[in-house]
Amino acid sequence: MSLTATPQMVNQAKKRKTSAWGDSLRALPWLLPTLVLIAAVVLYPAYLMIRTSFFKYNAMGIQRSPDPVGLENYIGRGGALTFPGVPIERILINTVVWVVVVVFVTLLISLLIAQFLNKPFRGRKLLRLFVILPWACSVVMTTTVFRYGLQQETGLFNRFLVDVGILDRAVAWTKDPTAAFWIAVFVAVYVSLPFTTYTILAGLQSVSKDVLEAAHVDGANAVQRYWSIVLPLLRPSIAVAALINIINVFNSLPILRILQETPGYHTGHITTTLMYEYQTALGPGVSSALSVLNFLFCLVIIAIYLAIVQPTKEVA
Amino acid sequence: MARLTKGLLALGAAAALTLTACSGGPAPATSAPADNGTSAPATDGQLADTTIKILAPSYGDTSEADWNRITAKFNEEHPNVKVELQIAGWDDFATTVQSRIQAQDLPDILNDNAFASSAEAGLLIPMDDLLSAETLANIEPGLLDNGKGADGTQWAAPDIASARMLVYNTDLFEQAGIAEAPKTWAEMEAAAKAISDLGEDIYGYGMPLGAEEAQVESSLWLWGAGGTWVDGENLVANTPAAVEAFTQMKKMFDQGLTQPNLEDDRQATTDLLAAGKLGMAVGHGQVVKDASDKGINVKLAPVPSKDGSGVATGVTDFILAFDNKDEARKAATAAYLDLFYSDELYEPWYKGTALLPVTKTSIEAAKAGATETDAAFLDAMDIVKFQPVSNPQWDALQAALKANAFRVGTEDPQAVLDQVEAQVAAQA
Repeated sequence: MSLTATPQMVNQAKKRKTSAWGDSLRALPWLLPTLVLIAAVVLYPAYLMIRTSFFKYNAMGIQRSPDPVGLENYIGRGGALTFPGVPIERILINTVVWVVVVVFVTLLISLLIAQFLNKPFRGRKLLRLFVILPWACSVVMTTTVFRYGLQQETGLFNRFLVDVGILDRAVAWTKDPTAAFWIAVFVAVYVSLPFTTYTILAGLQSVSKDVLEAAHVDGANAVQRYWSIVLPLLRPSIAVAALINIINVFNSLPILRILQETPGYHTGHITTTLMYEYQTALGPGVSSALSVLNFLFCLVIIAIYLAIVQPTKEVA
Repeated sequence: MARLTKGLLALGAAAALTLTACSGGPAPATSAPADNGTSAPATDGQLADTTIKILAPSYGDTSEADWNRITAKFNEEHPNVKVELQIAGWDDFATTVQSRIQAQDLPDILNDNAFASSAEAGLLIPMDDLLSAETLANIEPGLLDNGKGADGTQWAAPDIASARMLVYNTDLFEQAGIAEAPKTWAEMEAAAKAISDLGEDIYGYGMPLGAEEAQVESSLWLWGAGGTWVDGENLVANTPAAVEAFTQMKKMFDQGLTQPNLEDDRQATTDLLAAGKLGMAVGHGQVVKDASDKGINVKLAPVPSKDGSGVATGVTDFILAFDNKDEARKAATAAYLDLFYSDELYEPWYKGTALLPVTKTSIEAAKAGATETDAAFLDAMDIVKFQPVSNPQWDALQAALKANAFRVGTEDPQAVLDQVEAQVAAQA
């Protein structure tokens, strides 16, 4: 065989060069449904949201200005960040506290539960089933149970706390913005546990027994084995669980919405619930403006997380 | 695949129907009864094929049946007009209306308690374009005026009225040694104090400033101080009279004369009243009924004011007609509404709401056979004041009151009202 290129080979090489385009083109029929779906349910609504945030609407949602009003809905007289009576700094701090505390505590408790559920014992399957239970119930239902239980006059939790002598008299928990906020944190952790626990449990099962045995033989104690072997191997699972939880918790409306019975712009809001408040009181313009900011804010939190933890190194 | 084809066929048929409805529209409209306002609708069977949509709140268990009765009668005469009814709960009704408007799915007939925003946005058909002269003339003029916009146009027609008065527990009054209902703020304070002293969990006066009805409670206190929200074309929240009213409210709360949480909704105070733990609260017929059903003896009186003249809030709900730019639908809507207000059908309809009628003939009939409760409310119609629902700024003021009024318990009244005013101004 000679090493000179035959015309046939040249043709093939040419084909390969153009094939990058050709491949994409040939993949298009398979990608198209997804692309259309993304355009219809992600891009178009996002465009609408951004557009809406630059027009003036009344509370009924009727457009009141034919032309864009610039940043009026963001920082104008009745804008999302500057509406009189809205404790916006406090709400921004609340949002960060809400996300960080809920995600961190959830992860911590999940690590414990997952470790426990990974041990072989009688009835393990049943217990694993019970851990999923909060996940199977609707968040609204779970939260409503807490809300009713905490009612001042009729709530069971209140009754219990008074009967065992912890409280002198029943407290209207859900009518105090700060108390309701921390109860919401508790409920949010409670409903986030199943998913997080299962993600970590899956990670634990992939930790090879051989490695642990080898470490044991080399004389590593339980703490060392966990800290130096199990935890680093769990990093991808923890990274995924944390990222999904951050986004979920950040956008969680129902828990705070149901547990906060104080009307208006109180100090127990996060940006997501404030958005809802704006939507009903001020209409879609201001609400969309806050929604855009909320989206950017969420991006910033995720960016910080990615910068600190660099989870993609393991995930990829 | 078969289902898809069927769906497409149905879609095509629907489109064809709509087109026919449109093209057939203008012709009968010229002879539609409402346009000349003289002929009675019942004699006209010439309505085009079309569909009209009704959106109404649930006043009680019978609301849907009450509307269906009218529709059945309407369809006897106009079988070719399809009537679609949607009933939604009161607690979230504003959101339901909001979403229908935003989705451009405007109901031809809307039963609601506000109309100013829609009127200002030019979405409505004036009522005198739809209702016949006789129908309009039969609606009590004082109540009809409440449906006039700031520009004097009759954008809405009242369909039911109610009054809020002071409901008081006569047993607690007796126990506390108070002979009759208080008339002035001073008497009210004294009565509330005497009742609060009866027991640890008994409260003198229920003051619900939660998101549901803060505007009603605030308005009553403001009127009691001799003030009003209205200042020419504008609504002003922080007038001296309003500050005086809120100061008095704070005084009541600070002395422990009200229920402990001012952010309660009306339902919470109604429950307290029905449990016999509350001396006085502002309420309507249903509140009286709830309490009586539980065996609590209650009576009605005008709400005390600073000088003792007494006030009561009047509330009217309205019929609004959205303009769908379709003559056939407009003509059908007009015929439907005239039928709605006819004595024969209106009377059972309003009775289903457990509230008061608005047509002259029904009011006369109601007065003749009224129970003690109804008679008290009907008499109160002389002293009722209405919230400025026709002012487009009312929505903003109402929202700001709902968001802030309860804070009078812990903050300075002037500061709370300044905050309300700032929020209203920010939306102007």
